[in-house]
Amino acid sequence: MRTGVVVGVIAGIVGLILILGWGDVEGPNGSIVIGLFQGAAYGLLAVGLVLVYKGTRVFNFAAGEFGTLAAFIAFLFIHQWKVVPYGLGILFALIAITLLGLFMERVIVRPLMHAPRVTLLVATIAFGLLLVGVELFAFRPEPKNLHPLIQGIDQATGQPVGPELAGYFVSPQEMVIVGVVLALAASLGWFFSKTDLGLAILATSQDAFATRVVGIGVARTSQLIWGMAAFLGALAGLLYVPAGGALAPGVITTQTLIPAFTAAVIGGMTSLPGAFVGGIVVGLLQQLALWASGHYYLGDQPWQQLIPGSADVAVFAALLVVLLARPQGLLGTEA
Amino acid sequence: MATATEVLRPVTTREDKWRPSTKGWVARRAVLLLILGGIVFLTASVEGFWADRIARAAIFAVIGLSLNMVLGYIGQVSLGHQAFVGIAAFIAAYYATEKAGCEFEGCSMSTFITSTVFAALSGAIAAGVLGLVALRIRGLYLALITLAYGLVSQNSIFEISFLTRGGAGMPAVRPDGWVGDHAFAFLTLIFLAGVIFVDWSMMRSKVGRAILSVKHSEPVAASYGINVTGYKIIAFVLSGLFAGVAGSLLAFRNQNVVANDFSFVETLTWVLMVVVGGLGNRVGVIIGSAFFAMFGFILEPVLHWLGGLWGPLHFLEEAGAQAYVVIIVGAALAIFTIIEYPGGIGQQVSPITRWLGGQRFSMHPDGHGKHQTQASEASKTGVMGRLGLQRSGSTDEVTEASDETAPTSVMERATVMEQATASPPPPPAPAVHPDDEPVAHASGSADDPPGKPDPVPEVGGTDEGPASRKRGFLGKLGLQKNGAAQQEEKTR
Repeated sequence: MRTGVVVGVIAGIVGLILILGWGDVEGPNGSIVIGLFQGAAYGLLAVGLVLVYKGTRVFNFAAGEFGTLAAFIAFLFIHQWKVVPYGLGILFALIAITLLGLFMERVIVRPLMHAPRVTLLVATIAFGLLLVGVELFAFRPEPKNLHPLIQGIDQATGQPVGPELAGYFVSPQEMVIVGVVLALAASLGWFFSKTDLGLAILATSQDAFATRVVGIGVARTSQLIWGMAAFLGALAGLLYVPAGGALAPGVITTQTLIPAFTAAVIGGMTSLPGAFVGGIVVGLLQQLALWASGHYYLGDQPWQQLIPGSADVAVFAALLVVLLARPQGLLGTEA
Repeated sequence: MATATEVLRPVTTREDKWRPSTKGWVARRAVLLLILGGIVFLTASVEGFWADRIARAAIFAVIGLSLNMVLGYIGQVSLGHQAFVGIAAFIAAYYATEKAGCEFEGCSMSTFITSTVFAALSGAIAAGVLGLVALRIRGLYLALITLAYGLVSQNSIFEISFLTRGGAGMPAVRPDGWVGDHAFAFLTLIFLAGVIFVDWSMMRSKVGRAILSVKHSEPVAASYGINVTGYKIIAFVLSGLFAGVAGSLLAFRNQNVVANDFSFVETLTWVLMVVVGGLGNRVGVIIGSAFFAMFGFILEPVLHWLGGLWGPLHFLEEAGAQAYVVIIVGAALAIFTIIEYPGGIGQQVSPITRWLGGQRFSMHPDGHGKHQTQASEASKTGVMGRLGLQRSGSTDEVTEASDETAPTSVMERATVMEQATASPPPPPAPAVHPDDEPVAHASGSADDPPGKPDPVPEVGGTDEGPASRKRGFLGKLGLQKNGAAQQEEKTR
């Protein structure tokens, strides 16, 4: 049945592309390509959200700020101080944010382990907001620019690097994102289903008391979860920010967090491959909504003029419909 | 689980309750008047721009009470309140400027009232719709939906060009006679007083008790004949009504409504100020909101001094610096409150408020050990105690919004009962607010109420994912559930 759902979604996407006309220049081909890659970026953040939800039954609203702060730290080392090469700066940022995740676990999550989940949710919001404040304080609100891993434009010729798909040049950064998210979904899926540690984490999320009874250190699994979650959030930020544009305080939370949560919900909130599929769905929805709102007219004005922000409206509608009609999502399972 | 003999505590009635003497009442009323008079005197005597800031604090207090209705009384997180406030602000400004032509001719008081009514209605309708959604989706997922709704309104509705005049902002001229900063500050204080009165009179009535009982446990409330759906919607609508009033006041206070006033950082700050103030505690929420609105301004001279002290700190003198400090300090304060003092400011000032309400001045009102002062436990017994029921189980809770905390399976219930018998149940704690004195308490071994029925047919619908997710991994780990638990799962 689950295979059926996945096949259905893929068939739907392909069918949509065919119906809208692949060869048509006016059609949304470019939008579909952009949506696919944008969706992969959402999937990347969504994987981290799903991990935390699977492990601790918490919505981590600080995930976006893990990413933004990581990008800022990399920016600090690479562009502002110019002390380290690019790869090392990325590594520093990943280490710093992982440590921050462990700190957050110790200071916020563990004292609230037995509190209602909504309390913990408010605490993660407070922590995210704290990080936004720190970013504002340290880096000012003016947007910065973090270079991508591989330059998207050839320095010598000024031509974009990378293959062209339907009039859209796919940048190397976007291909890296797709590769990373696929590898992550597969390896984390294996981790949770095949390893003892993964099983221990799932058992902790289900019943911490009983898990302790059988001899599993609950505090240790919680530490592991939040360290991994921070690492994944940082990775998402470091890969997304150079591909997505300017680096400003709170940018991942405002731009990516809600689509990523929607992706996770569409995927069922507990399914790692589901997060990836959900990300693609959300990315496509956004880009198609943008395309449609610019192409269809009401009277003599395009929709865009009347209702701005159609991409956000599409995401909100998708979130609402999924939660009301199919709360277990596409691939939702027991844990 | 009940023991053979249960010792029931004596039933306290109104006659038994300690009452202050006439002199005591005079002293209490005098202090109350002194506080109110102090606020009025302060507003009247400070300079104009400080009066404007007091107006902002009063508006924040209204927003805080609005959020408190959802967060504190119903126990659901709304992260989209900037949408209610913002839409109301735009509607108020739109009516006053485009329909009544205030921009060039000045605003009459009646126009101001009309636009505020429209704004309040818009907020009530928007919140009512959210309340309908909240009937099916609760807890974490509702928080997610409200956050998404807030961002949609920020990126979509607040960008509609006829509302924002193409981004320049919709002007809102203050009504005649209330144009000055001092006068407008008094106007907002009057509105704040009105909102406090509505909130107070509702929460001390049957409606308020019903709403609180719904927060504690929907199935139990429903089994006592409380219309869960209706009261939830009432709370949401009232919250939206308050948010609408606040939006209208904010529009006229700023005199020009732009989308930037309602950013997501703002709305998260609102949530945090309610948490810091103390969930469900009216006085605490008002103090917390006013504090969050004001302390950036109070901090200004300090930052200025620090910035002048040392070169690298120079940026502290910049215009935006105090806003960043507010975010950092506010968030840190909220985390501290959640972890260490779940009762918030309201809990800290409760001896004073209780004294003003006509009780003895006491740091520990019932003197049953230090845990008594924790608001979490206070909110625990309040309404359920009134209904003659006491809940057992985990004690460190601020809100009971998520279904996941309620024991669902037989196995979980069994562990809860074990804990309950191992340690004596907490004695009846003070009620949520003064006039909610518990009438009767069932004591002895705190049963997980035997009358607690299995979930009442579809009050809330599905929310936290599939209902039957409680199986599997423990089995893999070699820990088999007992027969009853498995039985129960089959019946699901």
